[in-house]
Amino acid sequence: MRPVKIAILSLTHGHTRKYFQTLHENPNLEWVAVSAESEKVRDIFLRSNYNVPCYMSDQEMFEKHPGIEAVVMASANNRHIGQVRECAKRGIHILSMKIPTFMMDEYDQMIKLVEESGIVCQVELEMHYNPVVARIKQLFEKESLGRTSSINATNITLSPVWAFPWQGVPEESYGKRVPLCEGDHRFRGGALCDHPHIFDMIRWLTGSDIEYIYAEAGPNIRTDLEVEDILLVNGKMKNGVSFLLDPSWSRLEERLEVPGPGWEVFPKRMEVNFTISGEKGVMLADCFGPNVYHNGAPNDRYTVQYTYFDEWIGLMDEFVNCIRNRAVPKINLRWHRKTIQAINACYESIATGQPVGFSRRQWIRLR
Amino acid sequence: MNKIEEALNGLLKKYDVQPDKALNLLPGWEFIGKKIQNGDVPLLTWRSNRKFTELKKIVSARVIENVCMLRFSCFGSSDTWSFEALLYREFDLCEFLSGGRIMSLHATITAGQAGNVIVRLDNGIIGSVEVGTQLPSGHKMVDRHEIIARRGVASDIVVDTQVPQSSIYSYTDQGLETYKDVDNELFGFDELEVEHIRSAFEVMKNPEITQELIRQHNHLTNLVKTALESDSQNRKVEIKAVEHY
Repeated sequence: MRPVKIAILSLTHGHTRKYFQTLHENPNLEWVAVSAESEKVRDIFLRSNYNVPCYMSDQEMFEKHPGIEAVVMASANNRHIGQVRECAKRGIHILSMKIPTFMMDEYDQMIKLVEESGIVCQVELEMHYNPVVARIKQLFEKESLGRTSSINATNITLSPVWAFPWQGVPEESYGKRVPLCEGDHRFRGGALCDHPHIFDMIRWLTGSDIEYIYAEAGPNIRTDLEVEDILLVNGKMKNGVSFLLDPSWSRLEERLEVPGPGWEVFPKRMEVNFTISGEKGVMLADCFGPNVYHNGAPNDRYTVQYTYFDEWIGLMDEFVNCIRNRAVPKINLRWHRKTIQAINACYESIATGQPVGFSRRQWIRLR
Repeated sequence: MNKIEEALNGLLKKYDVQPDKALNLLPGWEFIGKKIQNGDVPLLTWRSNRKFTELKKIVSARVIENVCMLRFSCFGSSDTWSFEALLYREFDLCEFLSGGRIMSLHATITAGQAGNVIVRLDNGIIGSVEVGTQLPSGHKMVDRHEIIARRGVASDIVVDTQVPQSSIYSYTDQGLETYKDVDNELFGFDELEVEHIRSAFEVMKNPEITQELIRQHNHLTNLVKTALESDSQNRKVEIKAVEHY
């Protein structure tokens, strides 16, 4: 197979560095360039010692490398629509970060641009390439728990805002400045915008869609953020499965500008756990564990050192396959739309204090 | 073709690595007591397990500094493991994780089924290796690797627990079932099979490591033999260098 000539845009997304090794090692990819949105992210990239040219604008990079076939769109959420327009115009395939946009009019424009230009647009939801998730899915398919009754899923992490400041800026993370609710000084754009995975997983595992959803934001544990960091979500799927989700930034962090060892204050910086109840039993799963553990450098704190990190391999394999074989990615814009709607519905629920239901095309207030 | 070979071939094809079909790629302990033939490659399969890769990184990157002691244990069932095989594995892990070489040992073993060894490495580190094959038939291996340093402790067991954890616990009227899937590219293979496939792939990719694997195999075989002698002679034994292959 002819390797896909690929570039990374912007370098400002928290997942950017996860791609470096895969783009470097996957024989089906030829990593030709990156564009940096600031001198700061350029300098951080250059320190990683990959011998890949770095440009200060997408435009310049595309002009210098007309052979680029695909990009990893590793930018702030509010930059995505512009980059999708540019890629669609040039016929360049896109691997989008997990939130294409929260603005549903932009989202629908993206779908139109992608479908009319014929490019591949895969959304990065890496949990689909996690071996523990693959096992959970298999157990679901075998109906080992019988009919599912309820799911509790966590996607809790530290907050990345100190390293990736756009994640704490409502306009850049959520897309505009919308107060969380009346009388609250905070705005949409925090932890909820960072953690779509579990919303996606409950839809994928149950094969159903959300019927209604309720969300409650707690007091921030980081009082200096203007976006939410603690919240809980519950609701019911159309097939009757009840769910409880925790998408909080409830693990404190050192305020590092560049993520690295010692970032976490709580020993495990990120978890995605499931508790699933069915008529025949109960299953508990940790998608990123077990691991190994130490209390060494740099802070002598008890720390989880992860042994799970190959999601990016499967994700890029699928992207390459879709490009070369003209296939539609499993996580495409149309599939992901309902997940984005669900997150928006959570914000609506926080604002109104009531659950939000879904009609066929959009969410509706239940009360 | 068995399923391990099939998975290996899948990786070779995916990563465009030319297979050498003449190689006999088996875990090193399979060759204990046998003469290494042309094409035999004794794999140190456990070194491909991510938990050991990460523990080694913790030591070599000086996340924990100045290692003083290792506390290793490994129990298997006798239908899958021999006592010698487990000793072989754990001795290699002592050296792989600490970066030293075992220079003396004192072993106490009972009925060739359970026992322990105190080792000293050439970097001054001491270690205990506790091994047994008396787990019930069909039971998964239970192991623990704790590395104690002047700065920090590293372990593959989470604090305040005694046994390795699983990723999934499923409680049904069939009882408790556990799962630990560690490799998405090799989904469906258990941890030991993944180790085998990954380490065989490494040899196919880098055939120049074969001679070092054979050298280490000879050394480990000698350590196992010496441990049995130490027990039978009730004495600490210094390790003599073995370089034949």
